[in-house]
Amino acid sequence: MSLKREIGFLLNGVETHATVPVDLSALSMLRDLLGLTGTKYACGEGECGACTIVVDGVSTCSCLQFAVDCDGRTLTTIEGVAGDPLGAKIEQAFVDCGAVQCGFCTPGMVVQAKHFLETHPQPTRDEIKRGIEGNLCRCTGYVKIIDAIEAASRADR
Amino acid sequence: MKVIEKSTLIGKRIAKLDAPEKAAGMTRYVHDLDLPGQLHARILRSTRVHARIKRIDTRRARALAGVHAVLTAADVPYQRPLGVGKDQLPLKGDKVRSLRDEIAAVAADTEAIAEAALALIDVEYEDLPTLTDPADALKPGAPVIHGETLASPAPHDALKPGEPGDAEAHRHNVAMTFDYAQGDLAAGEAESDVIVDDWFRLHYVTHCCMGVSGIIAEFDRSGNLTLHSNTQVPFLHKREFAEILGMDPGRIRIIQPPIGGGFGSKLDIYPFEPICVFLAKATRRPVKLVFSREEEFIASPTRQPVLLRLRSGAKKDGTLTFRDCETLHDNGAYTSWGATTPFVMMQTISSLYRVPHCKYHTTAVYTNNPYAGSFRGYGNLQATFAVEQQIDELAEKLGIDPLEMRLKNAQDPGEITPQGMHFQTCGLKECLRTAAEVSDYRARHAAALAAQHSPQRYKRGVGMASMLHVGGGAKIYPSDGCGTILKIDDFAHVTLITGASEIGQGSETVLAQLVCEELGIPLDTVSVVNNDTDITPWDVGVHASRTTFIGGNSAIGAARKAKAKVLAAAAKTTGIPEAELELRAGHIVRTATGEALVSLAKLLRSLHFSDKAELVMTTFYYEPPSKHQDKSFKGDVSAAYAWATQVVEVEVDTDTGVVRLLKVTGAHDVGRVLNRLGIEGQIEGGIVMGQGYAITEDLMVDGGVVRNPGFRDYKLVTAPEIPEMEVRFIETMDGEGPQGAKGVGEAPAICIAAATANAICNATGVRIRELPFTPEKVYRALHRAGVPAGPTGGD
Amino acid sequence: MAVEHYWAPTSLSDALEHLRGGDVTVLAGGTDLMPQTQAGRVSLERGLLNVRRVAELHRIERVDGAVRIGALCTITEIMRDPLVGEHFAMLADACDHFASDQLRNAATIGGNVCNASPAGDTLVPLLVLDAEAELASKPGARVERRRVPLADFFVGPGRTRRAPDELLCAIRLPLPPPGFVGRFFKFGTRPALDIAAISIGIGGVRDGRTLVQARVAYGAVAAVPLRARRTEAALEGAALDAATADGVAATARDEVRPIDDLRASAWYRKELVFNMTRRILHDVAEA
Repeated sequence: MSLKREIGFLLNGVETHATVPVDLSALSMLRDLLGLTGTKYACGEGECGACTIVVDGVSTCSCLQFAVDCDGRTLTTIEGVAGDPLGAKIEQAFVDCGAVQCGFCTPGMVVQAKHFLETHPQPTRDEIKRGIEGNLCRCTGYVKIIDAIEAASRADR
Repeated sequence: MKVIEKSTLIGKRIAKLDAPEKAAGMTRYVHDLDLPGQLHARILRSTRVHARIKRIDTRRARALAGVHAVLTAADVPYQRPLGVGKDQLPLKGDKVRSLRDEIAAVAADTEAIAEAALALIDVEYEDLPTLTDPADALKPGAPVIHGETLASPAPHDALKPGEPGDAEAHRHNVAMTFDYAQGDLAAGEAESDVIVDDWFRLHYVTHCCMGVSGIIAEFDRSGNLTLHSNTQVPFLHKREFAEILGMDPGRIRIIQPPIGGGFGSKLDIYPFEPICVFLAKATRRPVKLVFSREEEFIASPTRQPVLLRLRSGAKKDGTLTFRDCETLHDNGAYTSWGATTPFVMMQTISSLYRVPHCKYHTTAVYTNNPYAGSFRGYGNLQATFAVEQQIDELAEKLGIDPLEMRLKNAQDPGEITPQGMHFQTCGLKECLRTAAEVSDYRARHAAALAAQHSPQRYKRGVGMASMLHVGGGAKIYPSDGCGTILKIDDFAHVTLITGASEIGQGSETVLAQLVCEELGIPLDTVSVVNNDTDITPWDVGVHASRTTFIGGNSAIGAARKAKAKVLAAAAKTTGIPEAELELRAGHIVRTATGEALVSLAKLLRSLHFSDKAELVMTTFYYEPPSKHQDKSFKGDVSAAYAWATQVVEVEVDTDTGVVRLLKVTGAHDVGRVLNRLGIEGQIEGGIVMGQGYAITEDLMVDGGVVRNPGFRDYKLVTAPEIPEMEVRFIETMDGEGPQGAKGVGEAPAICIAAATANAICNATGVRIRELPFTPEKVYRALHRAGVPAGPTGGD
Repeated sequence: MAVEHYWAPTSLSDALEHLRGGDVTVLAGGTDLMPQTQAGRVSLERGLLNVRRVAELHRIERVDGAVRIGALCTITEIMRDPLVGEHFAMLADACDHFASDQLRNAATIGGNVCNASPAGDTLVPLLVLDAEAELASKPGARVERRRVPLADFFVGPGRTRRAPDELLCAIRLPLPPPGFVGRFFKFGTRPALDIAAISIGIGGVRDGRTLVQARVAYGAVAAVPLRARRTEAALEGAALDAATADGVAATARDEVRPIDDLRASAWYRKELVFNMTRRILHDVAEA
């Protein structure tokens, strides 16, 4: 059995505690220990972005993040995205623009979009494409996802 | 007087009903489900490509704390063969034939324990000679992949006259053959002024559904089995699971949680599914089995790899004379749907354009490679790749404009092809003209030809390809139908219970939309139930671009019955004849004036709470008027046919061989646009999937081993790489289609590789007949052809 | 081996003391370590040392005649840093071609250097920029530091001259001389999320029509990121014309020692080295 550590962190605005094996990924902690299944496993090596979360204000692949290293930090997952107006706007834009098909890449895409728009409030379409280059989607061909992020950036804040 | 104007939902941009949940991360896929008492399963797979299993020792694994069951073939003597070819058992006991082969399975308290237990299973192999090049399969002395275990020899076990190869190897290693012929090939050759003859090589790609494969199996105490499954064909699988498990199909219930992508990958039963059932049976606990991404790459089906020889002829004026196509399909170790892609391939060979004389032959051979399944387009990408390149080649030899060449031979509405397909509607010529015009094809093509030999680093070119695909189902099973149950509650909310499965493509939204259109109710008053075989009526499954067409006609049928019932009741209540009444915005209105007479909800309640208490519930089963093909593969297999032309503009970097897709212009005969947002999404997604097939994706199978089982080196197209897309819809209003629509799901992926090949040739003068167009392959082709790297002077 | 100890110290001194005990895996961004351990390619040692909270490793600062980039600085931070942008544009450029936003946000330059992949994205520009690795250890009571030129730091794939009790603290980049031009090229089919089939870095000081103090490096063409000395010699002081570009590119093609792997064949890598070296030299001449 792996060594375990007790850690505490702010998760979607809520003080959260967990006891985690030190070799566990943040993705497994979120899904298996904390029951937050919105964050998806799709590759486990940082190549697809389906597990994107925000840690201390920057987006990262939770499959690469050691859970134990979340200690004392601030995490936002898809479940917490709609908690602020920009996040809610992005989710709505994904719905309205047809950016969702099978939906499996969508949570990671939405979380990444939020981080991206926070750092690029008035992006061009090419900047949006670069912003989501780490998020794979097999259904949509990305066009409607780019539309949605663009629409969310234009909507009144 | 309250007046309600007539309105329509058809052609509007309608958000998917399931999108809000998905965008919020609240949708529960099979990966997200946990049942009380559930165990986790993992599968031990072969580490050898081809070997006899001498011994399996599971004692150490069984002894591991937290392990509840370890199964090998010896533990499940009741297992029976599965899959399209019925040529494999779920757990292999005597022999492994590919690296994916399942040898043992573990159910444990956690996935980690199950994984640890796998490492404790000892397997002793005796290696056998391997067969990993399909071209070797028919040679004398070729290793025999299935000789001993197949109960009866392969269905087409005789060496055809004139066919090369060794009779014994042939008898054992041929999985399937297909032959089709029309007209008189010799006559076609004789009347040809020009003939082209080429080999084409189509590679392995795989579906890469973002959600990996998974299943949960549980038995109740009466022996009823419930599966939470990703299948695209739940009703067919009930029957198949029953056969494999030796149980009554009526005792199997399949619940389909939302799935993370299908694209054809979930049309067959794969060994992991019954294995999970065996574990549930052995442990009397719910068992969940989910793949890792690496496992998904190794143990999921691929697109059918094909070696294809095509000869085509034409007269001086561009009229096509004949086509002669011969293909070798690498079947892999077992037979799944990939082997049957000739059904579709031969349609493109025989009927995309008018060709009087045609011959088609496929041999699918067993090897120790991964096996191919069905994948969006189903052989059509492969056939179109060859056919559309040769149209350009013939045009070039004849000095005819490639667009003119296509228009000259394109099908027209009303045509019945020699293969028996009846094109009630056919927008091919309009697709060709529209795509050419919107993309400025002629001018760009001519400009690129003129610039072909000028020294430039970046060379641009355009290429065109068209496609024909079934658009009204495909009658390959005893029924190609779909059932609907529709009920309207006392508050005028509709529950649409349909056999048609949602796999992310948006079918539940379009079906709801069609029902609303009939019943004049708003979209948010419809719930769709489509994921439980104990509830939903039969449907053949999500394949062949059929769901909107077949499921749509079925939903409309049920809605019309409900509407008739409602209007009859309304006529009684209002005293106005039925013929003068209509449903609009949740009300019964007088058609002529739009006057709202009574709300639908009120009318329904008055029906319900009356002396002859009555609920509005209807059922409908739609069976398309298509025909099964006869033994010679002739017949009108679909109720409608979809057409498209795509023009691709590329830029080739002669320094590196990198091909960039700049723009794709598509003109699609879709019958009619129902949900504009949804259909655009299908087309855009299909184009990018086609782009991946053409340029970036390559499942490298080397000696039976997948060398790149991960997204790091299996390159899906990323957002910055997508081309500009301009799509036009040609609305031919198919008489048989729901509101005139035809199927479109597969169409957009089909032409891209062929059009890209033509565009590269237009840009560089070099024709490449092998996919994918990865930088090194293109660079080598340019190098061989003597196209120099770009000068460093002026680009 | 199961992990028995986990430490997340906040001072360098404490970190080095844990490291001194041996059998320790160092965790920084985790972007390489996590997939390597999950895939079983690397197993964690008895001690897992998370250095991410050591603040002094997380600064970019100017020190006499050089810029010191703390090993914990993420690729994103380096890409956006004004000092880096001003003096080491080719490094910022390489960072822009690194993996994806999510990975750039987590991956550290120290991790990229210590992971010592022949294709590591930052390594080629760092070689061209004459970077030094600053290593610290604590054999006794005091923290000791030494500097190793990066050109000597890499030993083989995944192997460096860092001793087991040493921690990479910073990368030190001397300020380039006036007139310095640098170019970075990474071959891939996409802007990012791609492992380089080859990468090229060329730098030097423009002197009329020539380039002096020429420095050339290649990625993914040898067991380590390669400082191409023969190519540099061919370039040094030669007139930047087409003949020189062809000659230098030919020298480079001869000097690199690529292998065939699933990303590219050796032949193709050599072709790319030739074509793109030539192209870059042309661009430098035009600049």
